[in-house]
Amino acid sequence: MAFDIPTRTEDLPTDAPRFIGKTVNRIEDPALVSGTVEFIDNLSLPGMLHCAILRSPHPHARITRIDASAALALPGVEAVLTGEDVARWCDPCFTAPEGWGNYCLAVGKVRFVGEPVVAVAASSRYVAEDALELIQVDYALLDAVANPDEAMAPGAPVVFEERRTNVIQSRTYTWGEVDRVFAAADRIVSRQFRWNRVGANPTETFGCICQWDLADNSLICRGAYQTPRFMAIGRAASLRLPANKVKVVSHAQGGGFGGKGGPRGTDIAALLSRKSGGRPVKYIEDRMEYLLAGGGQSWDRYYDAALAVKADGTVTGFKVRLVDDQGAGAEGYGTISAAKPLAAFTGNYRIEAAFYDLTLVATNRAPTYPYRGYGPPPHNLVLESLMDVAARELALDPAELRRRNYIRPEQFPYTVPSGNEYDSGNYAAVLDRVLELADYRALRETQAQARAEGRLVGIGVVSTVEPGVFDWNAYATVGVPGVGVPEGVKVAVDVFGNVTVAVGFNLQGQGQFTVAAQVVADYLGVDMNSVKVTTASTDVALPHFGQGGSRLGVAVTGAILGACDKLRQTFCRVVAHVMHTDPEQIELFNGRLRMKQAPEHGMSIAEVAGLMLSRSDLLPPGVEPCPEATFVWVSPNRNQPDDQGRCRSYLTAAAATHVVQVEIDRDTGQVKILGYYIVDDCGTRLNPASVEGQLQGGVAQGVGAALYEEYVYDAQCQPLVSTFVDYLVPTIHEVPMTVKDHLVTPSPVAPLGAKGCGEGAIHTTPAALLCAINDALAPLGLECRETPASPQRLWKLLHDQA
Amino acid sequence: MSTRQTIRLTVNGKPYEREVEARLTLADFIRHELHLGGTHVGCEHGICGACTILIDGSSARACLTLAVQADGANITTVEGLRNRETGQLHPIQQAFVEAHGLQCGFCTPGFMMTTLELLGENPDPSDDEIKEALGGNLCRCTGYQSILDSVRLAARRLQSASAA
Repeated sequence: MAFDIPTRTEDLPTDAPRFIGKTVNRIEDPALVSGTVEFIDNLSLPGMLHCAILRSPHPHARITRIDASAALALPGVEAVLTGEDVARWCDPCFTAPEGWGNYCLAVGKVRFVGEPVVAVAASSRYVAEDALELIQVDYALLDAVANPDEAMAPGAPVVFEERRTNVIQSRTYTWGEVDRVFAAADRIVSRQFRWNRVGANPTETFGCICQWDLADNSLICRGAYQTPRFMAIGRAASLRLPANKVKVVSHAQGGGFGGKGGPRGTDIAALLSRKSGGRPVKYIEDRMEYLLAGGGQSWDRYYDAALAVKADGTVTGFKVRLVDDQGAGAEGYGTISAAKPLAAFTGNYRIEAAFYDLTLVATNRAPTYPYRGYGPPPHNLVLESLMDVAARELALDPAELRRRNYIRPEQFPYTVPSGNEYDSGNYAAVLDRVLELADYRALRETQAQARAEGRLVGIGVVSTVEPGVFDWNAYATVGVPGVGVPEGVKVAVDVFGNVTVAVGFNLQGQGQFTVAAQVVADYLGVDMNSVKVTTASTDVALPHFGQGGSRLGVAVTGAILGACDKLRQTFCRVVAHVMHTDPEQIELFNGRLRMKQAPEHGMSIAEVAGLMLSRSDLLPPGVEPCPEATFVWVSPNRNQPDDQGRCRSYLTAAAATHVVQVEIDRDTGQVKILGYYIVDDCGTRLNPASVEGQLQGGVAQGVGAALYEEYVYDAQCQPLVSTFVDYLVPTIHEVPMTVKDHLVTPSPVAPLGAKGCGEGAIHTTPAALLCAINDALAPLGLECRETPASPQRLWKLLHDQA
Repeated sequence: MSTRQTIRLTVNGKPYEREVEARLTLADFIRHELHLGGTHVGCEHGICGACTILIDGSSARACLTLAVQADGANITTVEGLRNRETGQLHPIQQAFVEAHGLQCGFCTPGFMMTTLELLGENPDPSDDEIKEALGGNLCRCTGYQSILDSVRLAARRLQSASAA
């Protein structure tokens, strides 16, 4: 049986969608504003113990002795877990590439400050933390490698001894005739850039409750999991359990942005449960633990990059050398975020050849994890900064240089040199609209006036492509094999015509439950209020991934459309049988199964479901009494990459141009954002308010990354950031209230024409701000090429010159 | 190690008497002893504001307050906003829903409690006054624009309700 996934909203079985494309209130919100959503720390189980973790104060040291006897003797303490238990019961977390991982808790030596060393389960968190103070650990200090230069120096201490090197991976990608275009260029612009570590920092840290059933040798993990099945498979591997004996129950999460899942915390809580006779053990990571060693450090990068440019401004080649400080291992898949830029390496431009030299290095910093955008935010900052340098050297307006190089609307589908295929877009139209929205000419005039007064005012005009709907094939060359990321749902109609959608993921903030309800309500012609969206635990859920890679809104839409089409086909057979006609004579329209030739004759969805469940005598042969359907969606037409990583990876290509005007205070180095304008095009906007929320939230995180946030380490590899006083998440005072507009170029290949839209703004904002800062500094002959462009960094730049 | 003390306090209009450890934070007391889980804990340093509640009408960080310090206090948490019988949302809650002032919703109770205090003192705040009031609450999802819209909407709703 073939299933039809419409790529246009016009093809839905309704005369006019009532919910899709409309700003609807989210079905998630009444419970969230009431404070009644079950975030994991709101759940308690009978007999539950509480876990606290003693962590390494050293970046690199051998553990010579652990004495936890006094802790174990403390009233209320039920179990203590050390590296000995872990070495006996576990394998290291699996990683990409394989073999660069730690155990959940240090075995033999510690590799970063904050690495778990001993864990305690006790009657309360307070008692568990008391117990930590009674534990004695002796260390023999080892020299640490604090950065990639040190890590790659001859004779450097090795973070993973069995690997004999600190280089996790080193390879090059060559796409097109790079040497030729660089030799033929009229001008080569090159710069080095340093992007310091930033990270997700959701307001809720990771938390879980794990219970090991000793009789069944099975494990239940409840917690803040953004990719439940992926987490279940990982736990089965590290805890040496059959995968069908690990059940992961995903709870609503207080934000994610990439690293939500806590493999270490889960394994530790699971083993403490095992050690305490199977009692449930809760572990709630605190903010200091998160900042030191949680899943929230990303992108620690050193870039050396060049553009080949013709005299007329045509950009023909782009070379990037990246050295990426992964920290102590590849446990968090930080490695593969260095490969994400392959999906849009050359941005919005017709650059014909490109080269990427990638070196991933292990150091004694904390391991890196995914963060929203997953690599392109620094990459785009490099590309767009070089575009601005080229524009300055050619005395061209930066907007004009970009326009001359854009992929043109008639060129789609367009295959970029790094292999991905962009589905659709109209970049010049986006630029035109944002220049109009910002009144770009007036911005340049006010800038000229400000400069005449000696003020440092600058403008950034930055364009990016957001690869949407990730696929595993994008990451094959860095150690993750596979094509296709399944997302499954079940759509069930009950005897009263209410609809339940079961998905494999839980709330995280993006509003996918609402999107699911919108799609099913429009397809089946029911009210959104009669749709319930619920999360299936991994033991019964269909194959799924969950949030990640600007994918889930599109993927869940596709899955629901597939399931609804299956239901439609079954309903048509049932109704045809009752009406003594052929299924081909029946159609679904506006919530009724009706005769095409006599539309006044038909049955409602509720009537058909009721009939199926209560009148088996009326069912046609071969139809089960089950008004339910499952569907597992996967991106169409994906393929295996070649040896240079080229493949059709991300399904959709959204685009945006941001215009920002900033002023730098000469006395403080503070950057003030004077105006911020966005025009984006992510195809069909399923719930426009949610799209705008994704944009504005991405801007806020981009502001943080570009201006304030940094995981600072000292020369001995000691982290200097441990609270929100040190790690500066932007407040309402720092984030601009942006002026937005949009265009709609629907995807011709994605469900309902919607493109992934969760990461575009963080892909763009850091580059836009740095370009604006460097535009402001240009009259002084200065450039800032390090993020965050913090007040301290800019003040130093300005004053070192004086 | 522990010193226990008896405290009496009112939370969302309901009186409680409990014996608690002196070191128990008010956030943990509210969340795990009274089982009012809407007061979320985001940082435990008093920075993020997710745990903001009202103590005798003034906003306070539940994570930096000890339960014993709240002896005799009148406390309002997010659970005190909604109408107890009908379940109808408070105008501030309704405004956050309609203006899409939340995404993950974890910081939202803190923002709404701060808003409750603000609009009690200043029914018609300017944007700068709203920002000043909310400057101590971190949101990682929304970028604050829809939160600003939500507070404006709540102010309008509450004003027209009190005028009616």
